[in-house]
Amino acid sequence: MNKTDTIVIGAGLSGLMTANLLAQANQNVLLVAKGVGTPVLASGAMDVLGFQPVDSRRPLENPLAALDDFLAEHPNHPYRLAGAEAIRRGLAALQRITAACELPYIGGPEKNLHLPTALGAVHPAALAPRSLAQGDVRRGGRMLLVGFDELRDFYPALAAENLNAQKLGVRAKSVTLPLPAPVDGKMNITPIELARTFEQRAFRRRLARVLNPHLKGFSRIGFPAVLGLHHHPAVLADLESELGKTVFEISALPPSVPGRRLFEALRDALLRAGGRLILGGEISGGEITAGRVTSLHLETANRPKLLSARHVVLATGGLFGGGLQSDAAGRVWEPIFGLPVAAPAERRAWFSAQFLAPHGQPIAGAGVRVDARLRPIDGEGRPLARNLYVVGEQLAGYSWTAGRTGGGVSLATAIAAVDAIINR
Amino acid sequence: MNRLSTEILVIGGGVTGCGLLFDLAQRGFKPMLVERGAPANATSGRFHGLLHSGARYAAKDAATARECIAENMILRKIMPHCIEDTGGLFIATPLDPSDYADQFYAACQTAGIPVAEISPAEALRREPLLTPDIVRAFTVPDGSVEAWEACRTLLESARAYGAQTMLYHEVTGLRLEKGRVAGAAARNRITGAAVTIEADMVVNAAGAWSGKIAAWAGCDVTVYAGKGTMVAMNYRIVNTVINRCAPPADGDILVPVGTVAVIGTTSVRVANPDDYPIEPWEIERMLVRGAEVIPSFKKFRALRAWAGVRPLYQEKQAGPDLRKVTRNHALLDHAALDGVENFVTITGGKWTTYRLMAEQTADIVCRKLNTHRPGQTARTALVPEKKRKYHTLGARQEKVETGQASGQLVCECELVTRSQIEARLAENRRSIINDLRRDLRLGMGPCQGGFCTWRAAGILHQSPTFSAAQANKSLVDFLQERWKGMTPVLWGAHLRQMLLDQGIYAGLLGLDKLPPELSGADSPRLAEIETEGYFLVKNEE
Ligand SMILES: Cc1cc2nc3c(=O)[nH]c(=O)nc-3n(C[C@H](O)[C@H](O)[C@H](O)COP(=O)(O)OP(=O)(O)OC[C@H]3O[C@@H](n4cnc5c(N)ncnc54)[C@H](O)[C@@H]3O)c2cc1C
Repeated sequence: MNKTDTIVIGAGLSGLMTANLLAQANQNVLLVAKGVGTPVLASGAMDVLGFQPVDSRRPLENPLAALDDFLAEHPNHPYRLAGAEAIRRGLAALQRITAACELPYIGGPEKNLHLPTALGAVHPAALAPRSLAQGDVRRGGRMLLVGFDELRDFYPALAAENLNAQKLGVRAKSVTLPLPAPVDGKMNITPIELARTFEQRAFRRRLARVLNPHLKGFSRIGFPAVLGLHHHPAVLADLESELGKTVFEISALPPSVPGRRLFEALRDALLRAGGRLILGGEISGGEITAGRVTSLHLETANRPKLLSARHVVLATGGLFGGGLQSDAAGRVWEPIFGLPVAAPAERRAWFSAQFLAPHGQPIAGAGVRVDARLRPIDGEGRPLARNLYVVGEQLAGYSWTAGRTGGGVSLATAIAAVDAIINR
Repeated sequence: MNRLSTEILVIGGGVTGCGLLFDLAQRGFKPMLVERGAPANATSGRFHGLLHSGARYAAKDAATARECIAENMILRKIMPHCIEDTGGLFIATPLDPSDYADQFYAACQTAGIPVAEISPAEALRREPLLTPDIVRAFTVPDGSVEAWEACRTLLESARAYGAQTMLYHEVTGLRLEKGRVAGAAARNRITGAAVTIEADMVVNAAGAWSGKIAAWAGCDVTVYAGKGTMVAMNYRIVNTVINRCAPPADGDILVPVGTVAVIGTTSVRVANPDDYPIEPWEIERMLVRGAEVIPSFKKFRALRAWAGVRPLYQEKQAGPDLRKVTRNHALLDHAALDGVENFVTITGGKWTTYRLMAEQTADIVCRKLNTHRPGQTARTALVPEKKRKYHTLGARQEKVETGQASGQLVCECELVTRSQIEARLAENRRSIINDLRRDLRLGMGPCQGGFCTWRAAGILHQSPTFSAAQANKSLVDFLQERWKGMTPVLWGAHLRQMLLDQGIYAGLLGLDKLPPELSGADSPRLAEIETEGYFLVKNEE
């Protein structure tokens, strides 16, 4: 068996990107993850910085231009370690990898897309797949939002009224239709099921027929994000020619179809680049001896198997992803290595009084503190293991809802970790 | 200024005030109720939900026990649609004083409470999650009661007799004329408009706030606020009310309510009945006590916590007997006590004994007004205006299964369908999410509304009376209200779920980024101002 250069734990955006970039740099990479990671819960768009100051309700035009101001107010944010250059490179890397998987991401670090949400608010994102990007409200004109009776998480009339009330220069109307065969009469349909149905040509034809009488006067037609799963580009192109209009998608509640597409694209890219993957595998513990991670325990059906590698990347997603655990006594811990965790000391300080707190919930900022090379550190700032790196949501110092920096952090810290591993 | 007048003014729309309004109206008076919020918004909707059999009090307070069992039997007859006959078990564990069980059994018998001892094995057969260490077990006729539905039916029935209700009106002072109370001043909490109400008689039924109201008439009524905290677990762990066979203490009762089970309570005196945060030790104690009777208790998730304030009447050292009709509640005639005419206070008691309290109060009112009108509430079945039997899960499941409630499941946990929400809207086009929560238990199940709240907002918006701004606002309010109940019990898997909800409402939907005039995020809570009160604003616009 050939020797593993790096084991990445976690299949969220940061883990998948780190693994991809290392594999592309000819490393022997193994990615181990318990579940499919958080992309399937997210919108599929990449937020770098959406609001600055973070309690502002005005979506930013240029995220990088506002970065210095943002960092002045959030000195412990991981962007401070990674830097603007890593954000740029991270976005470019994602564009490069997704383009090769026919899931091109549009945009860039200096101009946010202003995507409509399923509620009709504006979601500023630096990158988005073409299908979402085409919904940008600044393109103006008249758009028709289409919903389906059977899809219970998408209410286009509400989105349209909210969009119009904000006077964004776009006029939205909505229509909600029953789904045609073969899913007609179904009481509930999940987004993934509907996305698969959209892959049938005959279904799209039938849908186009019912939709056609409603299309007059609209330049763009918006759908919930269910336009195909594995054959999404073809579904989108076909629907556009069938309807004779620009078609876009709006992300709705999880499970997110755009998130699922992204996950699959990054997974396939990793396998193509020669990386190995164990999904459904849990790393239950790890040994740090003499300042190095020497082994990891992979749970298998009968007994833990020992894995080792020159480098280990912890991309386990913080409290949300399962990379941190918590209990009633107010303890927060990192279950694999028992790394020190930065978190508010007492449970009563975990939360703000507001559910939708503009600065995020204090507990959401819990995570592992790292040095400039993203290695976990002790109280004195000394690295605890020379070959262990932490990326993404697992990092301390930020709550992604504050200012909306989640995607950017994952991408930029993946870049920074890869630099640290390869320049060694 | 708006001037109104009535024969008898009842202050407070908890179960006591609602029950009194109905009783007075049925006796032929023209009463009016003022309540600063929605019916049962305070203690009467924030209690443990237990229809007491009286067994809990039998050993220490026979009078209360007798009242409870008598009222328990009456309420089962007059409001069957609000009561679930869960039955109750008293179980003694090795942690409980070993001599209590015999004393308990004898006291229940003396008080007339149907009590029967069953074997520990039989108790375990009925409730398999109970600790196998049970030493003794007894059955009693406890039940669980649907508070909102009960208060609502009482108000509807009172209105049918001509009573008036002024919801969302806060009493700000009493009108005194020559040593007698002649009415009250109130303020519309939605519009801010001032109202004066003239009345021949004023009854203070303001629960933990009754001391404050009495003071406005110069009467000294000492009512302490006793905070009690309860925790709902994510599963109907038991089907029977489980009590500890021991003297009353914290966390000794577990009540099955809908799809969840509620453990409670603590008991702490607080200075201010309007501000009583839940302390972490209270939650901890509930979980520890729960685990004493259900060993797997901590494996279940705590969903939400809430607290209510008991009105604890403090008797003065020397006082005429009249001031205290029973040891449980206090019925005070201020003419005899303080020389203030036309003013009566009713406070303390239990939810279970509300009817008796109302009846005794109405008797005094009759006596003071020199009229003889016997009460009939013990014999009058309370029928809701519309058949609203939504709140039992079994009823809903039956409908879903038999196809009567066809349509999408909006709330998986509580089996609420889209057609039920639409039916509720058709009946009262002013329902907002919080009403749906009360009527259908939407969002009250194990997932705590992460997904179904969004769906409900979308469905509400499709009704012609709902603008997007109103749908947004009910979403904001519901989430914020739920947040208050969740934060005391957020850790572990539940915390993870909450972080997902944050991601959905902030990251995916951008609810926090809608302009405030569109989301209502910066304006006062609408959820509280549901139904009548809310539309008061609209009508006046
Ligand atoms: C934690 C806890 C658990 C309990 N569990 C049970 C149980 O399981 N079974 C049981 O039988 N009993 C139980 N009880 C007791 C029971 O809940 C109360 O005894 C009962 O609800 C009191 O009702 P009330 O109408 O007197 O008071 P409240 O419900 O408090 O009503 C008083 C009303 O007055 C209004 N008000 C106050 N000031 C003003 C003003 N200035 N103007 C207008 N309105 C005003 C308030 O808004 C309130 O609605 C419990 C109590 C607590 C605290």
